[in-house]
Amino acid sequence: MSGPAAVEFDHVSKTFGNRKVLDDVSFKISEGEALCIMGRSGTGKSTTLRLMIGLLEPDSGRVCIGSEDIVNASEKDLSRVRRHMGFLFQSAALLDSFTLGDNLALPLRRLDKSKSPAEITQAVDETLERVGLDMDKAKMPSELSGGMRKRAGLARALVLQPKLLLVDEPSSGLDRITASEIDDLLLKVKKEYRATLVIVTHDVRGARKVGDRIAVLDQGCLIGLGTAAELDKSDHEIVRRLVSES
Amino acid sequence: MGRFLTFIGEVSWFGLKALVVAFWPPFEWEFFMIQIEEIGWRSLPLILAAGLALGVVLSMHTRGTLVQFGAEALIPSLQSASFFNELGPLITALLVAGRVGAGIGAGIANMRVTEQIDALESLSVDSFKMLVVTRIVACILILPMLTLFMDFASMAGGFLAECFASHISLQLYLDRAFKTMEWANFIPPTLKTSVFGFIIATVSGYFGYTTDEGSKGVQSAATNSVVLSSLLIILADVVLVKAIFFLFPRNAV
Repeated sequence: MSGPAAVEFDHVSKTFGNRKVLDDVSFKISEGEALCIMGRSGTGKSTTLRLMIGLLEPDSGRVCIGSEDIVNASEKDLSRVRRHMGFLFQSAALLDSFTLGDNLALPLRRLDKSKSPAEITQAVDETLERVGLDMDKAKMPSELSGGMRKRAGLARALVLQPKLLLVDEPSSGLDRITASEIDDLLLKVKKEYRATLVIVTHDVRGARKVGDRIAVLDQGCLIGLGTAAELDKSDHEIVRRLVSES
Repeated sequence: MGRFLTFIGEVSWFGLKALVVAFWPPFEWEFFMIQIEEIGWRSLPLILAAGLALGVVLSMHTRGTLVQFGAEALIPSLQSASFFNELGPLITALLVAGRVGAGIGAGIANMRVTEQIDALESLSVDSFKMLVVTRIVACILILPMLTLFMDFASMAGGFLAECFASHISLQLYLDRAFKTMEWANFIPPTLKTSVFGFIIATVSGYFGYTTDEGSKGVQSAATNSVVLSSLLIILADVVLVKAIFFLFPRNAV
């Protein structure tokens, strides 16, 4: 992929206690690209996403969203950058004391002050319809099934019409059919919003279906980056085993 | 000992930070009002029931003793002095610590464990202000009001018990109950519960907000919130009573 970079990691390292989770990781993701990040558990995949949205700060290196370095950015600058980002958490992370509708309205109220209450309601309704939850607006998160929660989390991530969508384990805890439906939704989002997608996943089938490229992390290091076909021919055995469909 | 002092320092810093941040815009009015309802309105039935029952019980106990000395006329004033000065504020705080403290600790810890706090932060919402500061301010403001409900419910309970025992009229009961009461007996003990409210919400908020032990952390946050806030309320009460006696010497007589 070429074109302007939507995300750039430049020699990023991150340590928790004595454990080095990311070790001098560098890569670029082009605008409109879908990059799937794979790797064994605890290899820094989710940490990578959290660094991208500024929930964590690296010990060293630069994290750029568009042309903006978000490391040490002020809350105001970070808020402006986040206005164009969406994050689907592994557990969906819906606020359990809010209805589904209120969960979706929250980002609009907080990050898009230009919208009137009527416009917010309209945006919420349209986004819920897009993920097939238009009949569930008044429900509480506890009333939703696992797949519905994922779609609701995706709806909240989409309500701001983000240019960059970060997705943490979209298929975890879901059956194969529901996981495939979520993958289809992500592809639809990529096409309709022309959004850049960064997806952390263990699901090889989903990664090959949605991702333009796949990045493989192991023990905090980037050991593979390329299309699925390229990684199939990798010299690194872990890379081949992780991206293999069999 | 070192760890305990570190912990006290961290909790104190957490509470002070919340008090400072509370005055910085933007204000989380919507979430503050939710907390007022959750902490105040929903605690009210418990407070009223406990106050009424304690009022009846205290009246029955004191009657048994005072009758032996022919001093049953003192029951209403003893009741009002006991509740308005000490029992009302302390019992209200301990009940709220049990009901609300556990809820705050477990609720915020659960939000931490299920990534809800991360989700808020990713939306540039100041989760500390939204989840912790609103609860601390709500507790500070609500505790004195709940204490008043506890005080008057206990007086109602005391009157009911006395009415059954001696057929005393409401007018006479109230006259005897409040004859010796002064504002200084009433206002400082009621207002001291704001400090109790601060302790409950700060300690519970701290345990919930800083948990990092998964689902086990939710359980620990709930238990630790109740145990430690109850203990600190009792310790703070000793200091505050001494301070009230210092500022209002007639209360000590």
